[in-house]
Amino acid sequence: MHMEFFSGEDYISDLPQSIIETILTKLPLRDAVRTSILSSRWRYKWASLTQLEFDDKCVYGTHDRALAETYLVKFVSRFLFLHDGPIHRFTLTTAYLQSSPDVDQWLLFLSRKDVKELILELGEGEWFRVPSCLFSCRKLVRLELVRCELDPPLSFKGFPFLKHLNLQQVLIAPDVVENLISSCPLLESLTLSYFDSLELTVRAPNLKYLILEGEFKDICLENAPMLVAISVAMYMTDDIAEHFGQSSSCNFDKFLGGVPSLQRLIGHIYFTKYMSIGNTLAQTQVTYQQLKVIELYQVSFEDMKEIMVVLRLILNAPNLQELQISGSSNSSCASEAPDFDFWEKECPCDCAFEQLKIVKMTDMSGLPHEMAFIEFLLGSSPILEIMSITPSVYVTEGRLNLLIELLRFRRASAEAEIIFVQDQV
Amino acid sequence: MAVMKPEMKSFIWLETPDGSIQQVEEEVAMFCPMICREVLQTGMGSSKNYAIKLPQRVNPVVLGLILDYCRFHQVPGRSNKERKTFDEKFIRMDTKKLCELTSGADSLQLRPLVDLTSRALARMIEGKTPEEIRDTFHLPDDLTEEEKLEPLKNRTDDPRIRLLNRLYARKRKELKVRETSKIVEIEEERVDDRSVDDLLLFINSGDEDSKCGKSAKNKKKSRRRKDHLKDSSLNIENGNHKKETDSLSSSHNSEIEDVPSPSEISKLLGSTSPTNPPEPDFDDELDPAMKEELDREVEDFARRLNSVWPERMQGIMR
Repeated sequence: MHMEFFSGEDYISDLPQSIIETILTKLPLRDAVRTSILSSRWRYKWASLTQLEFDDKCVYGTHDRALAETYLVKFVSRFLFLHDGPIHRFTLTTAYLQSSPDVDQWLLFLSRKDVKELILELGEGEWFRVPSCLFSCRKLVRLELVRCELDPPLSFKGFPFLKHLNLQQVLIAPDVVENLISSCPLLESLTLSYFDSLELTVRAPNLKYLILEGEFKDICLENAPMLVAISVAMYMTDDIAEHFGQSSSCNFDKFLGGVPSLQRLIGHIYFTKYMSIGNTLAQTQVTYQQLKVIELYQVSFEDMKEIMVVLRLILNAPNLQELQISGSSNSSCASEAPDFDFWEKECPCDCAFEQLKIVKMTDMSGLPHEMAFIEFLLGSSPILEIMSITPSVYVTEGRLNLLIELLRFRRASAEAEIIFVQDQV
Repeated sequence: MAVMKPEMKSFIWLETPDGSIQQVEEEVAMFCPMICREVLQTGMGSSKNYAIKLPQRVNPVVLGLILDYCRFHQVPGRSNKERKTFDEKFIRMDTKKLCELTSGADSLQLRPLVDLTSRALARMIEGKTPEEIRDTFHLPDDLTEEEKLEPLKNRTDDPRIRLLNRLYARKRKELKVRETSKIVEIEEERVDDRSVDDLLLFINSGDEDSKCGKSAKNKKKSRRRKDHLKDSSLNIENGNHKKETDSLSSSHNSEIEDVPSPSEISKLLGSTSPTNPPEPDFDDELDPAMKEELDREVEDFARRLNSVWPERMQGIMR
């Protein structure tokens, strides 16, 4: 084959290790290890990589699950053993491997290597019980766990440098998760998904980004003044619904009472309903000066309380730029007769949304309050550019009436375009 | 578009390692963090006499390329699509220049360009055979055949010891077979598919040219082994390690190869130094018949390995 001798012209082996590492980290780990066979200088270049990403691609070529699992374990174990130097980032994403003593050993190894970022997503079977050595990874900056059981030892005082925490389908006691959050002073981003019936109080003085998804009985943002973006998806179960009925406090205050720097709020599914409990349009309220984007999904325009939540938000967000609301397709409170005086009562006639440019209303059924709301927005938004309306898929005959009504509405902004979205892909 | 008088535009003076000096539009040069820092912190670059000395790796050709990149990207109004199209065309150059460009961009701390060129270089490595990669980058093919076949291990290991250990392992296996033949058989059967061999193959990922010159390799191997049998020294402590290594070898048993991994080697060698003390005991412990059998087995194994290799590779790699 290639027996020619090139006159010492090795283009790449002399590049500094930092560049070699940059190149090798852009390869799948398997290819990176294979470079060991290129030449004598490349034997161990791969072994000082600081960012390791293991996944099922490391063992492609076999469909036998048990075989794949064994291969993966061998590969990771041997790789780690031959690795030389610090490890900053360790990611393991696999559908094959589940709870296994090998993973415990790897975590122990990593805890001694001052690992900074740890991402663990194991298979769907038995959830991985995280060993206590994880809690001695003092230098952790990012921790993401999927399908694990977390049970910190009593001596655990928190991760002093943790900035990003993401727990998805993690089995953890409620007070433990609260303590975990409050014991990480630098925490900036928190994501909790698929939790069951959680009552959560968040104390995180530096928290900027919050994403919650699951069945939450109660969320109290007790101390999170730096929050910039919140996204919540609340699912409902029977006992949560009961709990809603019994709650006496104002959820709106508990949730949004202490977040003056909020810029972006996104609420899915039952969020607006949750916020409506105990809510009043009382005088003393927080003004959200920075709030620019509000997205609320599944808002029931037949429930006056939910409408009040929406109103309270937009009336206290003077710099709102973009508003997106989707209606709720199932009418659960259809019994209430529409209160047409509501709009004159609650909305000050001189209110104007000075910065509102884009409004998107989706899943509209043509309900009276939906139309009234649209009319209200059109009449109070002097610099509105786009009002996009998408009818609900269940509305087939009423569309023409919807359009006719829309045409009537006064527009405060000469630039406003009303876009009626007919065909949803 | 307004015509700017030359005096109104501001220039930065740069000196490349070969001594040549050139002036570059300020906004273009300042796109490089290293140049930006030099200008702001030391005030250099304002005139020909005070030109900023560029790092060693930034020769005039590389500088030209970097400045082309900067000139395009420093314009704020461009869309992402435009930038991407430019990037794709920009990196089309021969490999040598691409490597030099990466090096130069790194020394000027121009991270986006380093990422771009690194990605291009990574694409040249991903999924290619070692031979193709060596060809692309003009890498010397200077690993011995043995090194390519064998697992990665501690650098301080002597190649001779590996071969010796293989013989040891085989010898131990022989002894074990005599004692507990049934158990070994079952274990062998069970772990057939999960041999260490396969893992090594995909870590080392043998290349196509191990196929050719196989007969030559075979001869080389068996010759080496014969030499070692004659004048090699033995590690008597092998006997002490027997129990440990027994369990090791049985757990890693395979009918093809007992090549020790680094962990096994360290256990096998224990605390002995790599340089073997001269102790010709090997011949004493083995009777000639067994020695011959061993020799034959080793050669047989080598032949089998070489013939099975290509199919194995097919199975693992694609």
